Amino acid sequence: MSGNSTILEVKDLYQHFPIDNGGIFKKQIGAIRAVDGISFTVKKGETLGIVGESGCGKSTTVRSIAQLYKPTSGEVLFHGVDLCKADKKTLLKERRNIQMIFQDPYASLDPRMTVRTIISEPLNIYNRRGLLDHKWTKDEIEDRVEELMEKVGLNKLYKNRYPHEFSGGQRQRIGIARALALNPEIILADEPVSALDVSIQAQILNLIIDLQKEMGITFIFIAHDLGVIQHISSRVIVMYLGKIMEISTSEELYKNPKHPYTEALLSAAPVPDPKVERNRKRIVLEGDVPSPDKERHGCYFYDRCPHKMEFCSCNIPPMFKAGENHEVACWLYDKEGHN
Amino acid sequence: MKLFKKKKMVATNEFNQTVEGTSLTKEAWKRLRKNKMAVVGMVVVIIYALLAIFADALPLYPYDEAITQHQNLRPSLTRSAGELMLEQRLKNIYFQAWRNGELAVSEEDDARIREWVQESRTNAVWDLVYKYGEEARANGTFEFSRSAQRQIDRMLEDIENDIQITVNHLYAYDADGERYEVANADYQTLLNLYSTLLNVEPSLVETTLRNEVRTSVSNQVRANDETLEGEDLEAAVELEMDALGEEGYQERATQNLVGYIMQLARREAERDVSAQNSEGTITFPYKGSFELSSGMTAEIEASKMHERRYYLGTDYLGRDLLSRIIYGGQISIAIGLVGTIASFVIGILVGSLAGYLGGRVDYYLMRFVDIMYGLPYMLLVIICMAIFGRNILNLFLALALVSWLTIARMVRGQIMSLKNQEYVEAARSMGASTFHIILRHMIPNSLSVIIVYSTIRIPAFIMQESFLSFLGLGVQAPYASWGSLIGDAVSSMTLYPYKLIAPSVVMVVFLFAMNFFGDGLRDAFDPQSKNQL
Ligand SMILES: Nc1ncnc2c1ncn2[C@@H]1O[C@H](COP(=O)(O)OP(=O)(O)OP(=O)(O)O)[C@@H](O)[C@H]1O
Ligand SMILES: [Mg+2]
Repeated sequence: MSGNSTILEVKDLYQHFPIDNGGIFKKQIGAIRAVDGISFTVKKGETLGIVGESGCGKSTTVRSIAQLYKPTSGEVLFHGVDLCKADKKTLLKERRNIQMIFQDPYASLDPRMTVRTIISEPLNIYNRRGLLDHKWTKDEIEDRVEELMEKVGLNKLYKNRYPHEFSGGQRQRIGIARALALNPEIILADEPVSALDVSIQAQILNLIIDLQKEMGITFIFIAHDLGVIQHISSRVIVMYLGKIMEISTSEELYKNPKHPYTEALLSAAPVPDPKVERNRKRIVLEGDVPSPDKERHGCYFYDRCPHKMEFCSCNIPPMFKAGENHEVACWLYDKEGHN
Repeated sequence: MKLFKKKKMVATNEFNQTVEGTSLTKEAWKRLRKNKMAVVGMVVVIIYALLAIFADALPLYPYDEAITQHQNLRPSLTRSAGELMLEQRLKNIYFQAWRNGELAVSEEDDARIREWVQESRTNAVWDLVYKYGEEARANGTFEFSRSAQRQIDRMLEDIENDIQITVNHLYAYDADGERYEVANADYQTLLNLYSTLLNVEPSLVETTLRNEVRTSVSNQVRANDETLEGEDLEAAVELEMDALGEEGYQERATQNLVGYIMQLARREAERDVSAQNSEGTITFPYKGSFELSSGMTAEIEASKMHERRYYLGTDYLGRDLLSRIIYGGQISIAIGLVGTIASFVIGILVGSLAGYLGGRVDYYLMRFVDIMYGLPYMLLVIICMAIFGRNILNLFLALALVSWLTIARMVRGQIMSLKNQEYVEAARSMGASTFHIILRHMIPNSLSVIIVYSTIRIPAFIMQESFLSFLGLGVQAPYASWGSLIGDAVSSMTLYPYKLIAPSVVMVVFLFAMNFFGDGLRDAFDPQSKNQL
């Protein structure tokens, strides 16, 4: 991992989706708090994993970072430039370095475009706007497309084919090639492997790891599967209900989970060894994930926490330091002993 | 250079060829070709379209040329108009003879004819008496009365001599012997030409022309304001004439002059051609330039009027039904197309606005659409036609105005569902502009649905136009559409069923073909059948 310079910083990011009453005047009667105040930094060259149950706001986080949604409040600093407040031109220039890989390899490729058009689309958009280093010719773009296809392990002779003529894994490779086209510094990968078969998952993961080693790209990587996250990421963020519960290096997190939610999550993941699997202790959480449309004044995990204390219900825990590179949002680790 | 490089895909070795992909459209086309009914439908539609487009180039009689003697002729592939005319005349004569008891008919048939007359089964009666009459004449048991014989003789003579002449171009020669076309000549030249032809003073002709123009202006003024009378009218006409000025007058007078001279030339040509015909120095049909005895040259088409063949018969004014059906098809298909395209444009505009902008714009637009849906649709069209006048353009407009609703809804739905597609988000994350997204992603992906729907809509438009024409609100004479042809035929349905059958069959075949083609397209583009190649 090269250096410790911060490439991306998210400060107090909120993303609320308004709920209206469906009438003419669209009176807002509430909001879904998909992301409810999160802060973290991403260092150059690392892979930051984000895990959490379905609906906890992982996708919304990366979409807000990519400015697909305008965040309700907060800052997204990319090389110190706040993308949320940047004007269109700056945003375009910076966004070139932030690309996304999507979850669904079927839905994320336009069925009416050839692979060549899909991969060259970002190049063409930036080329037309004159935001590339120089005006690229058609042949240059063509060469670049072929180079990218080879890089992600696709046969370049298939460049005139359409997405529906490829398998799921191949399509995801097309998606990756498209994300690489502009040589971005950071790639936001929203569950890039969860729609794929297990054997193909491994191939794609290895491809991503190889690319990262080769090109030094920073990744933010979302996954449900804790195994995948452990395999790929150097640091992990655990999210719950739009809040960060724990941030740690992945080794530390798996060996030594601090937050009750992380413990539960880890205990729920299957272990390949049947003996260990049979004997290990499971923490079963009660109830479902609560709806994210309520404003909360206490710990977000309070309703389901096995260690809950009265104090937790009306005080939102800040991030406590629990070791080197390890922070946790739980009053249990409050060194100053407020509770 | 580049062009060639792109087109030619050179195989450096047999494993190094670029693989051509099959796009969704290509696949849909493949599937369409497998659907036999759809292909047949498509071919039929193409044939119709070609016929409609190239109607002018086909050897058809003009669709608006009415020949009085040719009224209500039956369709016939083998017999000419003259023979049919004669047969009809004979039928009438035989029927009269039967009435007067001069034509002997077996008792049984006599009763039958009486019954048919009661039931007004005219065609059956005619056919039967004709059969008897011909037999009797062959046997020598029946002779025409003197007046009947005279009628027949005159008709035979007409058939021999009547000549149909169309003057396509008319040329005259000026003082220097230079040839010019009459239709393009200026006022002074025409004035001189006309007065020479009539052998009168030009000033006299000019006075007449001025009076004519004044009369037509006066008629116009009176039509605009019926209350005007006497001096007021005079003043108003004077005002109009001043507004018209010398230039305006000459323009109108020139029009009149061209008309007169053409008429004159036609009559002259008729006379000259008849003369040559009786001398036997001309063969028909004749097409080419013809020297008139007045010294002008005319490009004419001349044919023996009663040698025409009407494969589908004629209508009540003696116009060729085949020609009317083909030209009517032109209008009917145009209405289908224009209506669809207009509703397509309005619908896409409103629908994509509502779908893409969403929120309040969407809400109001869609409520407006809902209200429009609630109004009785045909009534709206009828009111439109009644208010804005009955011409083809208004018909197009009226139909388009009320028929974009479904397309708007459909496009809105499409755009709304596409807006949240991941590939659209991907494009946005690449910094694509809204315009780029709509143009490159949304339209190509929703076009197939819209096109399919439009194909299915075309028959509906044709049906609606037919309905309006049937009510007398559609296309106005001398134009025809399938609907108006059917509408005209209904009143004489029992006497001349062919007038109803021919346009109906033509229209039904087209509608069937269009529906099969549309259905085929829909199936072909259906993503659900994507893998059933
Ligand atoms: N565009 C939107 N409008 C309204 N609510 C939304 C929108 N997008 C997401 N949400 C809500 O925000 C919450 C978080 O959604 P998000 O997609 O970020 O979850 P996630 O962690 O990515 O889940 P998954 O693992 O299933 O992908 C959910 O409750 C979802 O219903
Ligand atoms: Mg998600």
